[in-house]
Amino acid sequence: MSDIAGRTNVVIAPRVPRVLRRLLQHRAFVIGFSIVMLLTLAAVLTPLVSSADPTAMKVRLRFRPPSSAFWFGTDQFGRDVFIRVLYGARVSLFVGFAVCVVSGLCSAALGVIAAQFRRLDGPIMRLMDALMSFPAILLALGIAAALGPSVSSVVAALSVAYIPAGVRIVRAAGLTVREMDYVKSAQISGASSLRIITRHILPNCFSPLLVHLTFIFAYAMLAEAALSFLGVGIQPPIASWGNIIAEGRDYATEAWWIMLFPGIAISLAALSLNLLGDAFGDLLDPRLKGGE
Amino acid sequence: MNQPLLSIRNLTVEFHTDSGWIQAIDDVSLDVGEGECVGIVGESGSGKSVTALSILRLHDPVTTRLPSGAIDYRGTDLLRARGSALRKIRGREIAMIFQDPMSSLNPVLTIADQISETLRRHQGLDGATARKRVVELLSLVRIPDASRRADDYPHRLSGGMRQRVMIAMAIACRPRLLIADEPTTALDVTVQAQVLDLLRELRRELGMSVILITHDLGVIAEFAERVAVMYAGRVVEQAPVGALFRQPVHPYTRGLIDAVPGLDSEARRLTMIPGRIPGPQEMIPGCRFGPRCAWVQEDCRKAPPPMQPVSDRQSARCPPRVAALDVCDA
Repeated sequence: MSDIAGRTNVVIAPRVPRVLRRLLQHRAFVIGFSIVMLLTLAAVLTPLVSSADPTAMKVRLRFRPPSSAFWFGTDQFGRDVFIRVLYGARVSLFVGFAVCVVSGLCSAALGVIAAQFRRLDGPIMRLMDALMSFPAILLALGIAAALGPSVSSVVAALSVAYIPAGVRIVRAAGLTVREMDYVKSAQISGASSLRIITRHILPNCFSPLLVHLTFIFAYAMLAEAALSFLGVGIQPPIASWGNIIAEGRDYATEAWWIMLFPGIAISLAALSLNLLGDAFGDLLDPRLKGGE
Repeated sequence: MNQPLLSIRNLTVEFHTDSGWIQAIDDVSLDVGEGECVGIVGESGSGKSVTALSILRLHDPVTTRLPSGAIDYRGTDLLRARGSALRKIRGREIAMIFQDPMSSLNPVLTIADQISETLRRHQGLDGATARKRVVELLSLVRIPDASRRADDYPHRLSGGMRQRVMIAMAIACRPRLLIADEPTTALDVTVQAQVLDLLRELRRELGMSVILITHDLGVIAEFAERVAVMYAGRVVEQAPVGALFRQPVHPYTRGLIDAVPGLDSEARRLTMIPGRIPGPQEMIPGCRFGPRCAWVQEDCRKAPPPMQPVSDRQSARCPPRVAALDVCDA
């Protein structure tokens, strides 16, 4: 163990400031990262600092437009839309993050297996093609409907829907990397297949996947909104950005604020994650190509 | 010569392509003695690298087949060795360096990480000892400021430096045989000379055998003791390096040597070999050099010519020329 700690120090210490400096100089990264952090903090801290209940109804205060008392107005049950949007962030961001992790892990594993074990390439990729032939949202809709509405079934459905694209990306990168001399060189030095995969192939496929996942994060939030909107996602009274909009739809002409604010939240989150994705794309490539 | 360290016997390698199985090398036999440096020279596509990669069995098993041949390394047939036995030989007994220093180091790992990987695997060193050894190795391959350089990522090094790192990796476990696949091709001429000097010194210090693959006759003349000339997948001539340059037997070898510009004579147009090397999918029934050869005879076009001894250490795959020499000698 001690040597791992020692090595990590040696490797990381001179690198971190350089990477950090580059990150901070990248405007898209700074903006994207700030918004994401802001939303995350809001989602995490709200229940800790406030006792406001997102499901508390005040029947006499229905359909109040935005004001100093209710920043985002109130909905058809007199619930505070601002509080619901904050609580909705918890669900939406969790779904986005969980989908990223699940589909990221699965696509990394499947993609590398397809690239490395050529006999499995055909079967895996044909299965992915089959999944890809459905529109992602339709596939997710079917799976979510089959599993029954809950947060975990939304995550499962969306993960499955987004795995094929990730697998393709990792496989493509893996096919390039496996032909590199350093992989041959590792084979020559007697490394096992598992070691070659974990140490040489996966780390070099990581940057395209990471960029892809930031987009998946944004897509997953939007798709969760769509699924909730269609009624197979997260069910009321739990607030997610998607089902706040779905519930507000009936009153769109009288109470526009119910739909507007969660809509803005979704756009903002998607925008910031896309900025992050672009920034990762910029920042990871030149480092690998060499030079500052 | 006593028992050779490595002995390739009648090796044929075929690859699967869209147009069926094609022969990459045909009936290659080659011995490497203990401590000896054997050069393999030939054009692109002549099968030099395929031969080298076969020794370590690095071809994709799905698309490769070996209809005949054996590679004996100190009593083990490498072509039939099982996975774990093979992994013990790879890296510890036989190591290899590649042509392109840009792609032969993993960009996401530091140099120390990459070199110490082999040390930990084969010699079971712990982190601190391995690191000390890495710095020693880097100094051994003349990398200045080795202890600081060890923590650099490959993109911070120049091509020549990377090639040195590759060499350090290859010799980390003191292999008995080093296969160098065009180790200097991608480098500047001055750096080439430095890398060759380094290889020569290391060879002497460690007593390694070396198989040097190159298309550069100058490198061969300077470095190798014995040479195998390959053409279109076959070894056409084998000789000690002196004999090869003094008395090339095979017309192809002669053509190669004539095509080297000289420094002594006044400027002349370089002699060319007419035509081009046939692709592996082109089936030429007899001698594959036949269509380009000035000495070609009817028999040459019928069947592949056999390897015939010229002297006790030189042999060539060209019956007409070998016969002509015999007449001269007699």
